[in-house]
Amino acid sequence: MPTNPTLAVLTYSGLAGLCAGLAAIPVAIRARLPSSWLGWANAVAAGLMLGVAYVLIAAGLTQTPALGAAGAALGIGFLFWTHGLAGTHDLDLNRLGDTAPDYGYQIVLVNTVHTAPEGIAIGVAMMLNPSLGGFTALAIAVHNVPEVAVLAAVLHSRGLTLARAVGAAAATRVSQVLFAVTTLAVASAAPVLLPWALGVAVGALLYLIMAELLPHCYRQAGHTSIALVALLAMGMVVLLVGMP
Amino acid sequence: MSEPVRVFLYALITALATGLGTLPFAFVRGVPGAATAWANAVASGLMLGASFGLVAEGTHYGAWQTVLGAMLGVGFILLTQRVVGRYNVRVGDVSGRSAQRMLLVIVVMTVHSFSEGVAVGVAFGGGMALATAITIAIAVHNIPEGLAITAVMRPRGASLVACAWWSVFSSLPQPVMAVPAFLFVEAVRPALPYGIGFAAGAMVYMVLVELLPEAYDQARRAPVALTVSLTLVAMVLFQQYL
Repeated sequence: MPTNPTLAVLTYSGLAGLCAGLAAIPVAIRARLPSSWLGWANAVAAGLMLGVAYVLIAAGLTQTPALGAAGAALGIGFLFWTHGLAGTHDLDLNRLGDTAPDYGYQIVLVNTVHTAPEGIAIGVAMMLNPSLGGFTALAIAVHNVPEVAVLAAVLHSRGLTLARAVGAAAATRVSQVLFAVTTLAVASAAPVLLPWALGVAVGALLYLIMAELLPHCYRQAGHTSIALVALLAMGMVVLLVGMP
Repeated sequence: MSEPVRVFLYALITALATGLGTLPFAFVRGVPGAATAWANAVASGLMLGASFGLVAEGTHYGAWQTVLGAMLGVGFILLTQRVVGRYNVRVGDVSGRSAQRMLLVIVVMTVHSFSEGVAVGVAFGGGMALATAITIAIAVHNIPEGLAITAVMRPRGASLVACAWWSVFSSLPQPVMAVPAFLFVEAVRPALPYGIGFAAGAMVYMVLVELLPEAYDQARRAPVALTVSLTLVAMVLFQQYL
């Protein structure tokens, strides 16, 4: 285990990004993933992210509630605002078989932007405490698999080869690594910024869960199964971090 | 006044405070149909924020027990949904699917008050010196819970009086449970994480299975997401300062 925190963050987030490659398995098994699989994949991702948001709130935001909440409002506002500017508020990220030329670029771009707060979350968790950083990276790594699988399935259905679809989808995780390392570097240089970074990560994660992951889930599989899958995923994170 | 009586009265005050959550709706005339989505989003944020607080407290006692309790809570709601779905439910003047949703929220919030009541009793067990502070904290903390219940009931046609009554009703288990918990603190403490987990699991499941899907059905997802996440953060902040 690396002792240098920057190296640790790089390793953890890098491994988390590489986990995305596992997404090739489901997409290879079924040329066209059934929509209920996409729904459950999104639900797993949503539950894990909700768990990470909870962990950051319980471990960090409660120490500096006012700054953290201000940061969260900033994170939420930023995503709402940029989506508004880009006109992507209602962009459906899960359209299988859509061959419109710009759609592919749009979903890859949106996914790349969305992994940024996850990277910030890893960096912030590492600043709070190294084992928390490891657990957060693990939760994000697991969540990368279904999320990349959904994106790869959509790209594959547009005619990309399996390798290219998974490659492009996994490449969206690069911003996770970049933001994880940057957050750690900035927060260790200027610890005053830590509560803000933490808040931004929490707010952005919550907004993404509510605006992207959950709404898609409910259209792809039954409400009961979605709620159960998401809750189980969240429970795993609580257990993982709650261990002494 | 003997101590158990004081615990009961203090916990009763906190229950009555839940009714105050209805107050904001007294100033809103004629709730429009689309309001269901907003109200659901607000209730979701409040309930998720409250659950985060509960889970943080529960894992303090034991993570396994809390998660196990949460799974039991989910099972309980699944069962309740089955039972409620079988009958033609009426709440006040409302019947059908809306009434079923209302009833479910009332049941969830009432059940969650049981474990809160136990938590109050255990807190009092730590010494009566903090009693007033705890009472005020819990009373204020109950107000958004009344708000959550009213947010679900009011847009579906329930009267303000009904909303206030059911809000208070949902907190009545607090005084009832606080007294035995206070008297038998040592015996009750080990069960606390299960109870807290049960309450949190039931609330999160309710949000995921009923409130959010309905909100997305009736409004665009960006404003729903904005409302849920901001309310959740506000609830976390609110709990921190009380």
